[in-house]
Amino acid sequence: MPTDKKITKEDTWKSDDLRRHIRGGGHDEDSSSSRRRDDERRHRTGESVERRHRDPEREARREREKNRERDGTGERTKPRDADKDRHQDRRKDGSRDRMGEKEERDKERSRAQDRVIKGTENVKYRNGDRDSRDKMHDREEKENRDRERVKARERDTERTRERERDALRKSDRDKEKEKNKESETGERDRERKSDRDRKRNEERAEGGRDRDREHDREKRDRRKEREYLKESEGYKDRSQKDKERKERHMDKEHSGQKEEREYREQHRKEKEEKERRHKERAQHNTGESRRHDGESREVESERVHRERKGSDREREGKRDKHRERRHREEAIPERDPTERNSAKKSSSSSDLRVHKDKTEPVKTKVEIAEAPAEDRGYDEAQDYEEDFEKMDYEEDFEDVDDSEGEDEKQTRSHEEREAREEISSQRREEIEAIQRAMDEENERVGSAQPRLSTEEDDRPKRSRDSETPQSKVSQHGRFMDFVAAKHREVSKKVASKQKKRSTELLRLIDLDYSITFSLLDLPPVNEYDMYIKNFGTTNTKQAYVQCNEDNTDRDIQTEEIEMSEKWTQHPAERNVGCGGPKLSHEASDESVTKLSIDSQRLATFLRSASQVVAVLLEEDRAEKQSLKKLRTQADTLSFSDGCLQLNTKLPFLYGRQISLVQFSQVQRQTMLSVHNPSAKPSAVRLDSKTIICIWNIWEPSRPQKILVYESEVQCCCFSPGKATLVFAGTSVGSVVLWDLREHASAHYTLRIGENDWTLRHPTFSTDAVLAASGHMSSVSSVEAVLATVAEGLRPELPLLASDEESSGLSFQLASLDGNGVLNLWVVLELPKANDAGSHTDLGLRPGGKVKLLHSSTVITTSERSSARDAKKTTLLQTLLLKFLPSDSNHFFIGTNMGLVNHGTSHGLKAPPKFYRPQVVGFRPVDVTSIDFSPFGEPIFLVGCGDGSVRLHTVLSEQPLMEWTSSTAGQPVLSVQWAQTRPTVFCVLDAASYLHIWDLLEKDFEPVITEKIDADRVTAMAVFGDPAKQNTYSGISLATQSGKIEMQYFSKRLTVPESADLEKLQIMMQEAF
Amino acid sequence: MEGTDTGGNTYLIRPNYHHKFKAAVVKECIHDILREQLSGVQYDPDEVGVLSRSLADCIKDKLKDVGFDRYKLVVQVVIGEQRGEGVKMAARCFWDADTDSYAQDIFMNDSLFCVAAAFGSYFY
Repeated sequence: MPTDKKITKEDTWKSDDLRRHIRGGGHDEDSSSSRRRDDERRHRTGESVERRHRDPEREARREREKNRERDGTGERTKPRDADKDRHQDRRKDGSRDRMGEKEERDKERSRAQDRVIKGTENVKYRNGDRDSRDKMHDREEKENRDRERVKARERDTERTRERERDALRKSDRDKEKEKNKESETGERDRERKSDRDRKRNEERAEGGRDRDREHDREKRDRRKEREYLKESEGYKDRSQKDKERKERHMDKEHSGQKEEREYREQHRKEKEEKERRHKERAQHNTGESRRHDGESREVESERVHRERKGSDREREGKRDKHRERRHREEAIPERDPTERNSAKKSSSSSDLRVHKDKTEPVKTKVEIAEAPAEDRGYDEAQDYEEDFEKMDYEEDFEDVDDSEGEDEKQTRSHEEREAREEISSQRREEIEAIQRAMDEENERVGSAQPRLSTEEDDRPKRSRDSETPQSKVSQHGRFMDFVAAKHREVSKKVASKQKKRSTELLRLIDLDYSITFSLLDLPPVNEYDMYIKNFGTTNTKQAYVQCNEDNTDRDIQTEEIEMSEKWTQHPAERNVGCGGPKLSHEASDESVTKLSIDSQRLATFLRSASQVVAVLLEEDRAEKQSLKKLRTQADTLSFSDGCLQLNTKLPFLYGRQISLVQFSQVQRQTMLSVHNPSAKPSAVRLDSKTIICIWNIWEPSRPQKILVYESEVQCCCFSPGKATLVFAGTSVGSVVLWDLREHASAHYTLRIGENDWTLRHPTFSTDAVLAASGHMSSVSSVEAVLATVAEGLRPELPLLASDEESSGLSFQLASLDGNGVLNLWVVLELPKANDAGSHTDLGLRPGGKVKLLHSSTVITTSERSSARDAKKTTLLQTLLLKFLPSDSNHFFIGTNMGLVNHGTSHGLKAPPKFYRPQVVGFRPVDVTSIDFSPFGEPIFLVGCGDGSVRLHTVLSEQPLMEWTSSTAGQPVLSVQWAQTRPTVFCVLDAASYLHIWDLLEKDFEPVITEKIDADRVTAMAVFGDPAKQNTYSGISLATQSGKIEMQYFSKRLTVPESADLEKLQIMMQEAF
Repeated sequence: MEGTDTGGNTYLIRPNYHHKFKAAVVKECIHDILREQLSGVQYDPDEVGVLSRSLADCIKDKLKDVGFDRYKLVVQVVIGEQRGEGVKMAARCFWDADTDSYAQDIFMNDSLFCVAAAFGSYFY
């Protein structure tokens, strides 16, 4: 047997023993009975009693030593033992200390008496105690089972929280109770356990006897468990029942307390009478012990076992102990069983206790399986009471026990000390044995109560089978798990709720990813910015601020103010309403009228006006000079009233013969002179070219325009209106024209000497451009055809119409070559000049605006030749072309046969086909000149190469008059009517004789015949204005040397007379 | 934990207009706080941690006072030093765009920049 167990057992042993004595369980009686028997024996054998009486002091001393040793060992074994053991030791020591050695004997005696008394009295209690203990067992079992069930329920998922709480409450309560039990009645617990264990051991040992009891108990248990099952099912009622039960217990408690009090009183009385009752007790005990002999005998086997162990221990034992033990064994052989039994019990209980320490779960399970819950409160109360009892009894009986069981204790302590070495193996065996027993019992219970065990027993077994630490931990963890589980439960519930909420909500809302919000976008600062930020303003400070208020800009750009002095007067004085210092008095008239016109018109006006002014100025001067000259030369020319010589002494005109002089029909002061190319070379490079000079006779100092052409010009004429165009027919068969309006800058300027001369080349030329439709031979005559006068005879006023100037050019040009081909051209003025030239009008000079379009061709000679003699036609040459001034459809062509052909442009038939001389028959005589009367009369003069001059009317083939010998056989160069008197005409012959005829005065010979000796006159032109009848009419004579003389007619030739037209009409009437 | 959903659903799917998270108002709040607390502050790496936390708390408290009912607020404050580096910050949210919104404001001075963003998420 383990020594430590023994030690602890001894501590508890006394109390256990006492209680056993007090309560007097069936098996407990063994010890008491044995003791009684001992006493009896002692009584019988006085020696032993004496010794016993002698011994107490010694034994007590020894005992104390042992106790001291034991204490030491106990202290040594403290770690292994539970605190309770120590506690017991201490208490025991305390009790021992309290009791003096002297008193011990008395106490022993009194205890012995007490025992006797108790023995008698405890008989009453015994049964009740046993019952209560059984009940207690049952209750514990039930309780534990209950607890276990609760735990099982916890483990089960279907348990309700209320149940848990209830169980928790209950378990707490149980725990508290247990704690109370353990702390306050720790001994009792241990006793109970030890009792239980002992009982179990007894059951094992004396199975037969216990079986009945156990059977009963089991039955009871089963019944109670069944009840409990019902209760547990209806657990709600349980608390109520518990209360009731508690109440019941309280009652019982009261009764118990009463009993206790009574018992104490009795006890006190008994103490007082201990001496006296001593003997009585001995007698009682014998009776009682005898009753229990049978039972105690059954413990023998156990004792044998103990003895065997004890013998083992003997070998190592000390001498005195050995002796004592032997003596004890020998002396009290009967006491052994109880002693052994009790020792065994205590050891087993201590075993269990140790076991319990280690295998608490197992034990609790065992308890669970056994403890009924119902009687718990009662038991508790009773236990509590019992504690008091025990305490009292312990105090009272300790010494008795000690004295009684001194030997036993000594031997036991000895044995314990010896057995301590074998503890491990022994304990193991014990543990195994106990476990086996527990298993058996559990199985039994399980088989007996399969219904209950199904759930409740499996678990204990399982946990029992499993390793104790684990189960311990698991049990411990289970409690913690409960809180955690609660948390888990809560969190789970919350989670499920939230999940439900989320599912419900997610149906209603839709989440989406937002666009990425740019919270901050800070671009990196480049180096320059960083530098400027850090150092940009270093070493600078602001000293001044310029507001720029005083820096106003006063520059104002304005146009220069034009200032001119003007004056005005209203009403106008002398046709001048306004004027200024710069305006000359001459221009005042114009300025009045042209104040409102635009600058372009003003410029054109100024150009023309300046011309006029210049002409006037020169005219004034020239008039004075010419008047002087005229006076000097007056005697040279009889008809002349004065003479004016144009300045033809120009370098480029030097040495040129003037072949033609012609005046404009409208601008009568404008004259052109054709200078043929000179034969001998001159200084100027214009030798091979024909030069045409445009003169204003009032400005004789220089020609207005100088026209240049490459080859010889045969004929020339002005445009019918204003003299702006000059047409010319050339010897190479081309027709050219000049536009005098072209600006001088567009032409080549030749600087000769100090003066600049602008040489104008033709604006348009048919050279090689219109060759197919042009003339194949030299052009003999060009004549402008006035379209405006195309119908009927008209007065000349339309020709002078001012609107023609502005309406542009619209007339035809006729050109006649020597072969009788008459070409009609349409003169076109382009709306806009093109300086770059034209692709289509190749004959047009760049910048020119006027061109010729070929209109039609009339073969004048072939028609007539077919009609007439073929031989003659071959010789026929057309020399001159004149249009009827009143009707341009009629043209008259002078031929080399002395005839003037009459033709019409549209194939009209005019009565006289030709005009012939009075002499019948054809002679080869050139018609050199044809001139129509400028006064509108349909009569014309024809000058012929044989010197004859004829006067024809357009209506008659025959001439009105014919003068054949007026020129003395000299060919007539030119015949021209005077412009102011209708009956005066001039004839120039090749011998430079100028014949002036006045038909009113003489119609058979010229009135004046004048010979111009100085120079041969090659061309003549009569000028003057018949409409204005000014005095400045005259004749211009061009000489071979290139001089041009203007001879003013005397008044007698220029002043018209009323009889002039009458004379002509008479002459015409005479002809018909 | 019980008791809230006893009477069936009591969800408010849409916030009351007065309680809606208004970004302009929030931005104004943030702006005021940032300007008030950061004006003249120099960047100090030891202090900005505390500073940003206090700013976030301040903003959050102020926003709570504004009264965005049933809104969960998240305030993020980032303070960084201005040294010329480029910084790019962005946020992306998985939320209900009808109810949830955010507002942010930036404060900058010579030494630091501060970005404060407040996100309001509606609690249905």
